[in-house]
Amino acid sequence: MNGVRRLIPAGAAVTALIALASLHGAPRQPVYVGARACAACHTGKGIGNQYGLWLHSKHSRAYAALARPESKEIVEISGLRQVPQEAAICLGCHATAYNAEKWEKDDDFRIEDGVQCEACHGPGSEYMTEAVMRNPEEARKAGLRIPDDRFCLGCHVEKGSHVAVLKAPKLEKKKAWADIAHPRPGTGTVKVTGKPPDFPVPPEAQKAAHKYIGAAQCGSCHKGEAMGHQYSVWRMSAHARAWSVLSTPAAYAQAARKGIVGDPQRAPECLKCHSTGYGAAHTASSKVDEGVTCEACHGPGSDYAFEAVMHDKRGAIQAGLKTPTRETCLGCHGTKFDTAAGMKAIAHPSKPPVATNGRHEVRYKNPLNMALRPGGKELWVTCEAADSVIVVDTAARKSVAEIPVGGMPIEVAFAPGGKLAFVSNRHDDTVSVIDTGSRKIVKTLATGDEPHGVLTDRQGKYLYVANTSSGDVSVFDIASLTYVKTLSASRGPWSLALSPDGAVMLLTNMLARFSPLRTPFASELTSIDAERGTVDERRVVDGANMMMGVDWHPSGKFALATLNRTKSLVPMTRLMQGWTITNGLAIMWRDGAVDQVLLDEPNMGFADPSDVACTPDGRYALVTSAGTDRVAVVDIAKLTAALGRATKHEREHVIPNHQGYPTEFVLKHIDVKNNPRGVLVAPDGSEAYVANSLDDSLSVIDLKRLEAVARIDLGGSREITRYRQGERLFHNARITFRHQHSCASCHPDGHIDSVTYDIESDGIGISPVDNRTLRGILDTAPFKWEGTNPSLSRQCGARLSVFFTRLLPFTPEELAAVDRYVTAIERPPNRYRSLGAPLNPAQRRGKAVFGRTMTNDGRTIPIENRCITCHFPPYFTDRQLHDVGTRMPADRQGKFDAPHLNNIYDSAPYLHNGMAATLEEIWTVYNPDDRHGVTNDMTKDQLNELVEYLKTL
Amino acid sequence: MKIAASIALGTLAGLALAGGLAAESGKSKLPYVYTKWKQFTVADGLPNDHIFAVKADGGRVWIGTENGLAMLDKRTGKIKSWTEKDGLPFRAVTAIDVDRKTGDVWLGLFGGGLARFSGGRFDHWHQLNSGLVNDVVYGVAVENDNIWAATTAGASRFNIKTQEWSIFTEKNAPMEEIWNYSASYNGSDKVYLAVWGSGVLEYDIKANRWKDYLDPDGEMEIDLYRDDGIVHVIATGAQEAGGALWISSYFGASRYDGRNWRAFYNQDSGLPSDFLNNLTARSADEAWFCSDKGAGAITDFSSNTWVAYTRDANGKGGKAIVTRDKEVLETVELPVGIPHNYIINADMDGNDVWLATAKGLGWGIGNGYYPGLRERPKTPARPAPRKRGSK
Repeated sequence: MNGVRRLIPAGAAVTALIALASLHGAPRQPVYVGARACAACHTGKGIGNQYGLWLHSKHSRAYAALARPESKEIVEISGLRQVPQEAAICLGCHATAYNAEKWEKDDDFRIEDGVQCEACHGPGSEYMTEAVMRNPEEARKAGLRIPDDRFCLGCHVEKGSHVAVLKAPKLEKKKAWADIAHPRPGTGTVKVTGKPPDFPVPPEAQKAAHKYIGAAQCGSCHKGEAMGHQYSVWRMSAHARAWSVLSTPAAYAQAARKGIVGDPQRAPECLKCHSTGYGAAHTASSKVDEGVTCEACHGPGSDYAFEAVMHDKRGAIQAGLKTPTRETCLGCHGTKFDTAAGMKAIAHPSKPPVATNGRHEVRYKNPLNMALRPGGKELWVTCEAADSVIVVDTAARKSVAEIPVGGMPIEVAFAPGGKLAFVSNRHDDTVSVIDTGSRKIVKTLATGDEPHGVLTDRQGKYLYVANTSSGDVSVFDIASLTYVKTLSASRGPWSLALSPDGAVMLLTNMLARFSPLRTPFASELTSIDAERGTVDERRVVDGANMMMGVDWHPSGKFALATLNRTKSLVPMTRLMQGWTITNGLAIMWRDGAVDQVLLDEPNMGFADPSDVACTPDGRYALVTSAGTDRVAVVDIAKLTAALGRATKHEREHVIPNHQGYPTEFVLKHIDVKNNPRGVLVAPDGSEAYVANSLDDSLSVIDLKRLEAVARIDLGGSREITRYRQGERLFHNARITFRHQHSCASCHPDGHIDSVTYDIESDGIGISPVDNRTLRGILDTAPFKWEGTNPSLSRQCGARLSVFFTRLLPFTPEELAAVDRYVTAIERPPNRYRSLGAPLNPAQRRGKAVFGRTMTNDGRTIPIENRCITCHFPPYFTDRQLHDVGTRMPADRQGKFDAPHLNNIYDSAPYLHNGMAATLEEIWTVYNPDDRHGVTNDMTKDQLNELVEYLKTL
Repeated sequence: MKIAASIALGTLAGLALAGGLAAESGKSKLPYVYTKWKQFTVADGLPNDHIFAVKADGGRVWIGTENGLAMLDKRTGKIKSWTEKDGLPFRAVTAIDVDRKTGDVWLGLFGGGLARFSGGRFDHWHQLNSGLVNDVVYGVAVENDNIWAATTAGASRFNIKTQEWSIFTEKNAPMEEIWNYSASYNGSDKVYLAVWGSGVLEYDIKANRWKDYLDPDGEMEIDLYRDDGIVHVIATGAQEAGGALWISSYFGASRYDGRNWRAFYNQDSGLPSDFLNNLTARSADEAWFCSDKGAGAITDFSSNTWVAYTRDANGKGGKAIVTRDKEVLETVELPVGIPHNYIINADMDGNDVWLATAKGLGWGIGNGYYPGLRERPKTPARPAPRKRGSK
């Protein structure tokens, strides 16, 4: 498909091709042609000036509006890393065909035109010809969509982010319909030109040397934050609507008063000031409907609009770039015009716009994990929020360097010898390889999804990278820094630890293995043969989840790993044996046996144990409690002796749930700072370091005194924003009864623990529900599967207190802070497709299945049963309750909130109670009556392709 | 004149070759014969005697049976087994391949889909919980990060890195029939599928293209033109080794060297039968065919020298019969032979050979194995045991 100008004359050919395709049963391949192509027929009074009305509407400025500082603020509170004009979530409602492939858009289609005709009426290539459009029924058959107000609500439903920033009132549907109404007057046949509006340029003028090139050409460079969004600023101005305003009744009236007969949009008297360069020469890219463009003030662009020229301000002026003066304005605005005010109104400085509310960027560090560079003088600390690794001089106890790495660095490890360091970048799906001498990145390795733990074997042959979202381990050859293979882990692989003899690489998995509804779960400790680089054993830890930190005892006889014991099969109101979540350690013996002990005490939980490190003499193990800001000192000898005294029955059934037991072996609790995560013991055993994630500091623990003796500041902002306050509250267990758990206990990193909970107080297992992610949820209200919470404030307020924390609820100020944090939890980039990237053939076919309106045997699928109806972009939810036939006997209701589908691949299990282990099962097992979309006519490859497409959303 | 001379030279060379192969002072150019066999059955710890698949993996040999998976430790001779109660997702294991890089064992399940056995954990993919096209899996092959499954309704390919499933059927591959019997990959750029009724399909990994090998004469009952292509479109196995593609079918065997085809039948080769369930290839010169009447091993392609291994009707003994162009060169009595004449699957393991049969697993121990032919004395035939009471 080449260009609108070529498309329209070739309309018959397009139609013929479509007819031919239909004849052969080939799927339709509609293409977005852009609003200007529609303008070819929808311009002029006879058809109600429809194009002019759209151009004059907010819809046409929707993309430009994303350049406003408020849009940036919305993005920030929504947890999006991209700028608004590049964020799929924003573009989904502020542009047309935002996630279409290149081939789905005509060459002349411009995303800058905002919400265009085809956003509502569907891609136009198949129905745009005059012959089809003159027959409404044919046009509908060919794909013309006539939307109703429900369709509009796909975007115009209330969004928390927009309410928060814009104080936007709820959409008044009637008024909105009236605002965008574009009826065609009369019933007779309208004569159309079939050409988009253009300049009536005399042939002799077209020969002129100085030509107008149009605003879009200027906009190709004058866009983006670095250029002050100049094109968008213009696009939002009245100048950009100068031509479209001529189609309004007021313009007609004024023209009549001036004795102008006919269409003002074609009247030279009007166009002289309502377009640019009227009567002069234009290149093909200059359009009359752009109104008063950049060149109206700066002169025809063909003389200077070259990047090389424009980079030299004086050269550009010499080439013809004009600096507007008062006279420039007065030519059209008249002598009474307040030029200063006018200039201010259209100001478009090329520097980034300043935030309207006086906000400034506050950056924290969020240190997570550490490694000592061989030699012991430098401690390297990954700082998740700063996208950097901070180097700390251990002797001076201060940071000496900060190395920028990829997004969200999690763990760091050194190659034997210390020449190279490896840093996992969770956001970017990469590992940064750093030359430790120069402290420069020498290579970036592509890993699986969300890399977390990194470690090398003893010989330095292989680098192991635990990918926590894709559930596997990437193995790289260190000598060549090349990918070797992928090992299967369990769910949420987290951290790695090498046995003292170098033989076994032990891997924790944060999420429990998937277990069917109402069955107990178990976690896995994955044992990798470090010499062969293969998984040789998988130790099962019954009833445990959230296994994160791991370390070997120097004897090599056992390893320790942190864990939670989450009792999801009993109602959350049951308080026996430490309530819903208890916290402790697994002791994995070399022979394969696994013991579990708690670190909670009857009145004081040890929430969110995150990491563990043994002292070199084997005497102590230090365990961080991220939720209670403490480090537990475990006396190893006492622990092993106590276990040794216990019977087999006690070790299997009593001790794992025994809250009195820790007094046998927990020597001391050491207070540290906010949210301690990683812990590391110096090789000489004199000190330990604790990364206080939400304090941007390290605590130094003197291992003789067993006290925190120093705080190493890592340089994060000292200002505690509301976001930071919320982040701390979210990760702290003091809000819960006995400090048993925090919000993060069930929503690690704002995501899921993959557990189905029986939340209610009935005690009989009514309505167990699957835990849902908090990533990118700000505008997806209502919350809860049953849709009972209209806002996050309600979700995190009294309800949280009643069902989850059993203590006084957050204060209003705390609640606002938690809300601020939760709404900003980021959804990682989609691993299967970046915005606008081509789909692979299977995904492309899957997209057609997702949007299909007919079954394979030719039956029309009712609108309410099409995928796209309930899973409307950009969140792919209409935020309504639907009964898709999944009600189970114990469910209170059959209608459930339509979940958003972005990154749906990383939040298994599925459906309201997590009964579908995979996306396929949603339809192969739980959709027998075609109530969750019509799917039973689909072939297996169609279902596969649908799944492949869903993973790209 | 020149042509005549060439023919004469060729004839002389042929005669010389024949002379070289022929007996010479009591010695002949003969292939290696596996004379030492071990048999494994339920009595030895196998979960079932019906062995569907065997795959050697270093010191371990994986065995798929009608009711469970087993692993034989070659060093100790001990067998460990897993059935459904141990987590095996489905009882009948019909195909096995090992990912040499990760050590994971991939299992084709006859009605149960696909499974991975990794570090003691079984993972299960079937047509309801995954993109696997069908649960009746006949063959499985590990190709880089992809797992291929030959099923009764097409082939599936699962990428363990991207988790993407692809299906290959008549819609997107030259698969006239979709009943896939086997999948194989030997580290080159090609994956081979043997398909009931659709011959052999070759998938070029780099070019992402299919090529089909069919029986050009199109005859189902007879091979009208010999050596014109595969002998029959009902193909059961296909493996590339040393640049040659070996194919088994229900109607004979084929070999293709990229230019020339060669057909093998029971009537003019050492194949014990034309009904072949599968094969395993060692090189461009040696392949073992699994027939319903024993194992037929072509040991030297250029001289059409074969060794057929069969089991006697009674006892554990059997025979190895060396033939060349159907001429019997040697018959070796085996005190312990192959476990059963109905061979379903086979695998090579260094010098050793493994046979999956209808009643037990056979281990051919290749001490002193040599490829091709060597001059050696013929093994003297053992006198037939005298009947009790005779003199």
